[in-house]
Amino acid sequence: MTVTEPHIEEAKKDITFRVFRFNPQIDSKPYYDDYTIQVERGITVLRSLNYIKEHLDATVSFRAFCQAGICGSCAMRVNGLSKLACTTQVWEVLEKCREPNVIKVEPLRNLPLVKDLIVDMDPLVDKMKHYSNWVESTMPEEKMGKKEFLISEEEFLKYDKATDCILCASCVSECSILRANSEYVSPAVLLKSYRMNSDSRDAIHDVRLAELVKDHGVWDCTHCYRCQETCVKSIPIMDAIHGIREDAIERRGMKDTSGSKHAEAFMSDIEKKGKLVEATLPIRTNGMAWTLKNLLPMAMKMIVKRRTPPPPPLVKPTKGIRVFRSMFREMSEHVREDHKSHNK
Amino acid sequence: MKPFDIVIVGGGGAGLYAAMEAMKTNPSLNIAVLSKVYPNRSHTSAAQGGANAALANKAKDDTVELHIFDTIKGSDYLADQDAVEVLCSEAPKIIRELDNMGTPWSRMDDNTIAQRPFGGAGRPRCCYCADKTGHTILQTLYEQCLKKGVQFFNEYFALSLSVNGSRMRGLLALNIKTGKVEAFASKTVIFATGGYAKMYWNRSSNAAGNTGDGQAIAYRAGIPLKDMEFVQFHPTGLRKSGLLVTEGARGEGGYLINRDGERFMARYAKEKMELGPRDLVARSLETEILEGRGFDSPAGKYIHLDLTHLGADLIKSRLPQIREMSMQFEGVDPIEEPIPVRPTAHYSMGGIDTDNFGRTVMGGVYAAGECGCVSVHGANRLGGNSLLDILVFGRIAGRTAAEEVGKFAPGIIPESEIAEKTEELRSFMKPSGHYERYGALREELGQTLAMNVGIFREAPLLRKGIEDIAALRDRYQHVRVFDTSDVYNTNLIQVLELKNMLDLAETVAAGAYAREESRGSHTRVDFPVRDDEKWHKHTVATLENGTVTLGEKPVTMGRYELQERTY
Repeated sequence: MTVTEPHIEEAKKDITFRVFRFNPQIDSKPYYDDYTIQVERGITVLRSLNYIKEHLDATVSFRAFCQAGICGSCAMRVNGLSKLACTTQVWEVLEKCREPNVIKVEPLRNLPLVKDLIVDMDPLVDKMKHYSNWVESTMPEEKMGKKEFLISEEEFLKYDKATDCILCASCVSECSILRANSEYVSPAVLLKSYRMNSDSRDAIHDVRLAELVKDHGVWDCTHCYRCQETCVKSIPIMDAIHGIREDAIERRGMKDTSGSKHAEAFMSDIEKKGKLVEATLPIRTNGMAWTLKNLLPMAMKMIVKRRTPPPPPLVKPTKGIRVFRSMFREMSEHVREDHKSHNK
Repeated sequence: MKPFDIVIVGGGGAGLYAAMEAMKTNPSLNIAVLSKVYPNRSHTSAAQGGANAALANKAKDDTVELHIFDTIKGSDYLADQDAVEVLCSEAPKIIRELDNMGTPWSRMDDNTIAQRPFGGAGRPRCCYCADKTGHTILQTLYEQCLKKGVQFFNEYFALSLSVNGSRMRGLLALNIKTGKVEAFASKTVIFATGGYAKMYWNRSSNAAGNTGDGQAIAYRAGIPLKDMEFVQFHPTGLRKSGLLVTEGARGEGGYLINRDGERFMARYAKEKMELGPRDLVARSLETEILEGRGFDSPAGKYIHLDLTHLGADLIKSRLPQIREMSMQFEGVDPIEEPIPVRPTAHYSMGGIDTDNFGRTVMGGVYAAGECGCVSVHGANRLGGNSLLDILVFGRIAGRTAAEEVGKFAPGIIPESEIAEKTEELRSFMKPSGHYERYGALREELGQTLAMNVGIFREAPLLRKGIEDIAALRDRYQHVRVFDTSDVYNTNLIQVLELKNMLDLAETVAAGAYAREESRGSHTRVDFPVRDDEKWHKHTVATLENGTVTLGEKPVTMGRYELQERTY
C-alpha cells in the first residue's frame, strides 16, 4: 500500500503589517509603520514579524521566546484583539481587516508601554504578590518532601483549567475595568487567586479572600466577559470570578464593598418588583453621603431634563410577578444545591 | 549595587530551585536571580511529559535501584554512576516537595500522584500534570519565589564573568530595558541558563532563547565544557516547525507509521516498540525517511504519529496541548488524522563540567540543569529525567553555594570593565562598508549543523561542518546591529546570542569529529559500534588561544558493569 500526499495548493498573498512604533528615546508619540511582505497560507503572525525584523527593519521590537504557545511572551493586539502572535495564523485574521489585507499589530493595553510592541509586565507581577498568588502550604517546611497530599480527581478538576494560565496578559489587555482603573486586581490575578483558594493544600484562604473583597478587588468586575472571550488558553475566567464572589458571600456575607452591596440591592429589587428601583440604588450601594456628594449635580441635571427615575412607591411590580417570584425561588434553591455539591 | 553573595543566572526550574534552597540554607544571604526573560517564560514551561521518580504509586514494585539502572543503561553507560544515584534517590523527595508546595499533579484513583510509562523506563514512573508538567512546575516555583521575596532582575542579559587571574568577582549583564551594562559583584555565580540545542534553529524544538548563554560565558572564561557532542534528537517534532510532540503521546499508546502503513518500530525495538529510548527511536525515524519510506510534502519528508485509535476522550483529557498544537501548526486534528512528525534537536546532554555538587573548576562558579553536565544523562537522556535533573541539581547547587559562600571574598568589578563592555556592544552598531546580516549567519549555522552534525554523522560531513562553523565565526566579526537604540534592543540581543551559539557549535562539532564511535545520541556511520576500550570517557572542551581544545575525563563507574544496550 502506498499513500500519496494530496496536492497542496500553497496560496500566497501580499499582506501589509501596520505595526505600532514607539521608541521612548526618540519619539514624542507613537506612529505606525507599514511593511508589505508575501505570506503563504499556514504562516503565523509571529513568523511574519520575524521575517520583517530580519529582512526589512531590524529595529521593530517585540518579545518572542518559545514560539509554541506555552511561554506567553508574544501576546499583542492583532487587528484590535489581544492574542499570541505565535499561534495566530495570518489567514485567520485576514477576515477581520478593516482595509483588505492590512493587519494592524499593536502592543497590549492596560500595561505601561516600553517600546513598539513591548509592554511592562511588572505591574501584573506586583499584583500577583499583593494577592498572595501562591499556595501557602499547610505542610510545615521541615516536613516537606516526606509524604504527598492525597488529592481527589474532583479537587484537581476544580483548578485544572486555571493552571493552564500562562500569564500572557491578553485578558489584562482586554479588561474594561482596567481601562478605567489601573489599580483593579486584573482577570489573570483573580483567576490565579481562585486557583489557590480551591486548593486544599493552601492555608491562607481567608487572608487572600479578605484582600480580594476590598476596593479594586473582585466586586469591581462588571461581567463584560472580555477576559474570557480573549483567553488564549480558553480558560473560563468568569467562572473563577463568580467562584470567588460566591465564596465571599458564603464566608463573609454581602457587606464588604459597594460592589457586593450593589449586587445585594440588585437581587432584592428583582425579587420584589421584577425590575430595578433605580432612584435609591446608588444610596443602597454607596451610602447617602457618597451619593449626595457625587451624584447630586447629575440628579439636578436629570430633574431639569425630566429624566429622573420614578420614586420607589411608583415602581410597581411587573406583570406576572408571582410566577416570576416562584421561578426566582426555585433558581435560588438550585444554586444553593449546586454550591453544596461543589464544596463537598 | 551592593555586592551579592549569590548571583543566579537563569530563572527556569534549576535557577528558581537554587534560589529557594539558597535562601532556606542561609536566610541572611543577598541573592539575585537574573533572567533574560520573565522567569515564568523560561523554557522549563515547554516540558510536557513529566518527571521520573520511583514513587511506586502505579507499579508497586518500582524502586530507586531500577530507576538508577534504567538511567545508566539509557545513557549508554556514559553517565557517572554516583551522580545518577543522587538524581534517582532524591527524585521521590523532590516530587513530593513540589506536591507539598502546590504543583497540580494529575492523580490516580487512590488520590496519589499519577505515573505513566515513558521511553527507556522499565516501570511507569513518570509523574505528570496532563501534558503541561513543566509549565505547572515552573508556575509553582515562580509563585513560591514571589512568596519568599526572591530578588529578581528580569530582562537582564548575562554578558561575561569578571575574572581577575583565577578569581571570579562577579558578572556583567545588560539591562535590556535600559541598554546599560551593569556590574553584579558577587562571591558566587550559579549558571542555570538551559540548553544550547537552538543552534540547530529550524530543526530544533527549543525556544528562540535556548542559545547556551551560560555555557558560552563560562567557556570564554576558561571553564571546561563536557560531552558537548551529545545532542538529543527527539523523534517526534512537528514537520513544519520542529516543535515538539511529547513522548507522552507514545506513552499513552500512539503508533509510529511509515508510508507503507507499517508500525516500523517492530524492526528496531521489538519489545519496547514506540517506547524505545529517544536516540534509538529518532534514528529509526530518520532511517525510514532516508530509505524512502517516509511521506513527502512541500514542507519536507515525515512520518505519521497516529493517535486516532486512542479515542477523542483520552486525547482531550491527557494530551490537550498536543491536539491544540497539531491543529495550530499543522492543521491536523489528531483525533481524526495522524500527526506529521520528524526528528528535531531537542536537548543538550553536554554542558558546563561540574561535580555532583554543581561546582566547576573555577572557585565560586557553579552550574545546574541543562546548562551543566554532572553527568547524569551521559550519551542519551531518558524522557522524564530532564525536569528531574533541573530540580535535583538546581537545589543542590543552591545549597552548596550558600554553604560555601564564606570561602570567597566579596568581589569588586572595576568601572573600566563596564566601560570596555559597553564599547564592545556599541562597536556592533558602527556603520562599515562590509557587513554581515545576523539572520543569514544564524540560518547557515542551523543548516550546516543539521546536515553535517545531525543524527547520522561521519568524518567527511563533520569536517565540512567544522569548516563551515569556522567560516561563520570569521564572518561574525563583521555582523552588524542595525537597531542603535538603548531601550529594549532585541536586535543586539539576537546578535549576542548568535555569538554564544557559534562558540558552542565549534565544541559540538569538534567533539563529534573526535569521538570515533557510536554511543547514545552520537551516531557515527563510519564507526557504527560503541568502542568502550577507546571511548568510554567524557570529552572536555576548553577554549585555548581562541579555539577549542579537547581533553578527556574518566567515567565514574559503580555497581553496573558495561553491557550491550538493547531494547
